[in-house]
Amino acid sequence: MRVNEHPILNFEKGNKVMFYYNGQQLEGFTGETIAAALHANGVRAMRESIHLHRPRGLFCNIGNCSSCLMMVNGKPNVRVCVEKLEEGMMVETQQGKGELK
Amino acid sequence: MTRTADAVVIGGGIVGCATAYNLAKKGLKKVVLVEERYLAGGATGRCGAGVRMQWGTEPNCVLSRDSIKIFENLEEELSYHDSIEFKQSGYLLLAYNEKMVEQFHKNLGLQHKLDIPSRWVTPEECQDLVPHISLQGLHGGTFCHKDGHCNPFKATDAYAKAAQRLGVEILTYTKVTNLLQDRDKISGVETTAGIIETPLVIGCAGAHTMELGRMVGVELPIYPERHQILVTEPVAEKQGPMIMSFYHGIYCQQVPHGGFVMGLGDPNEVKDYDEDSSWQFMHEMAAKITFILPALKDLNVVRQWGGLYDLTPDKTQILGAIPEVPGFYVAAGFSGHGFMIAPVVGELMADVMLGEQPKYPIDMYGVKRFESGELYVEPSVV
Repeated sequence: MRVNEHPILNFEKGNKVMFYYNGQQLEGFTGETIAAALHANGVRAMRESIHLHRPRGLFCNIGNCSSCLMMVNGKPNVRVCVEKLEEGMMVETQQGKGELK
Repeated sequence: MTRTADAVVIGGGIVGCATAYNLAKKGLKKVVLVEERYLAGGATGRCGAGVRMQWGTEPNCVLSRDSIKIFENLEEELSYHDSIEFKQSGYLLLAYNEKMVEQFHKNLGLQHKLDIPSRWVTPEECQDLVPHISLQGLHGGTFCHKDGHCNPFKATDAYAKAAQRLGVEILTYTKVTNLLQDRDKISGVETTAGIIETPLVIGCAGAHTMELGRMVGVELPIYPERHQILVTEPVAEKQGPMIMSFYHGIYCQQVPHGGFVMGLGDPNEVKDYDEDSSWQFMHEMAAKITFILPALKDLNVVRQWGGLYDLTPDKTQILGAIPEVPGFYVAAGFSGHGFMIAPVVGELMADVMLGEQPKYPIDMYGVKRFESGELYVEPSVV
């Protein structure tokens, strides 16, 4: 699902790009967030909760809550709701707290 | 409303809670603890949560060594239902010039005399302990594996709950407005919740203990000084020991939760009650910590805060009776290391207040040392 029409805002679709979600090749558009591209591809679970290992997805969607932290290009704790999608990005479900390299 | 008590403890930080617990444990029936805000709302709850034995003066070495022994079994002693998050993964103190190397070796000599298991480590051994440390400018350091971390909120809560089970009454959001005297002797405490008549009062109010002293005409050499700390987002366990550099005036540890807690001492800080945090701190902290631990540059900062050191001229705490005011005792002026020595201080103060012989003499830690000039100038503080 993508918002194509909005009463106030304009959503101009950028160029089509490829990215990877847990190794699986998906399509998205430049200009949208990683979270938006995943959502449009039907991906709802973004990380696992730390103690009970339950799925976590979008919650605040404005970069505040830590619910959507994922591994992006090997970097943990990326807030995918505010990080823009780029060609060839490797996006992975984050398990645990993330390793600092 | 007027009530009576056998003793009143002023201050709901860890020192106050530990003292109240020990007074009740020794059989005092009616102990009241008065706290202006909430428990651990002052320096205790704002501290860096480190506990270490590696100090440069005998009082600090002894008090911290024996406190760490108590921390090791504190949950059992206080029948605490939760964890105080005590973890002994060591403190690594870093030396960046020859003068520091010399001072550290002097400290090691003292520490070894007092059975503290610290040792000298070369820069390469520093890297074995903390693999992500930068060797730039590093001359080596000292390490003690018995040092570590404890959660100040949990430890204070543990003491407070144990004290309450022994009958201690804790009044939070209650401010002491005056100390009452009968001639010179303490006769009571005037608070926003009424007067408490008591022959025994101890001030454990951090920097505010200076104000308590003034209520009975005593000038205590204790000054507030703001220190700031920040905490990062949590990541998987990466750093065992707390690292500390007196050259940069900083310390940094990864707490059990996974966040990195780090703080900085600013030599130009104004001596005031300001507890705000500043963007200047964030910038300076980030610059200094990424010099020592470059890998931390990718971490997001979650929160920052300020708190007050209660500084004395020799950066060593004032413990004991105030001779001019019979019945008035002080445990304050901890100069940034009150949390880690609180378990022993609580025991000692309870002994002294009840006229018993403490397990070691504490006369020399009293306020009179500033008149006699027999000071304990602590070199190892941030």
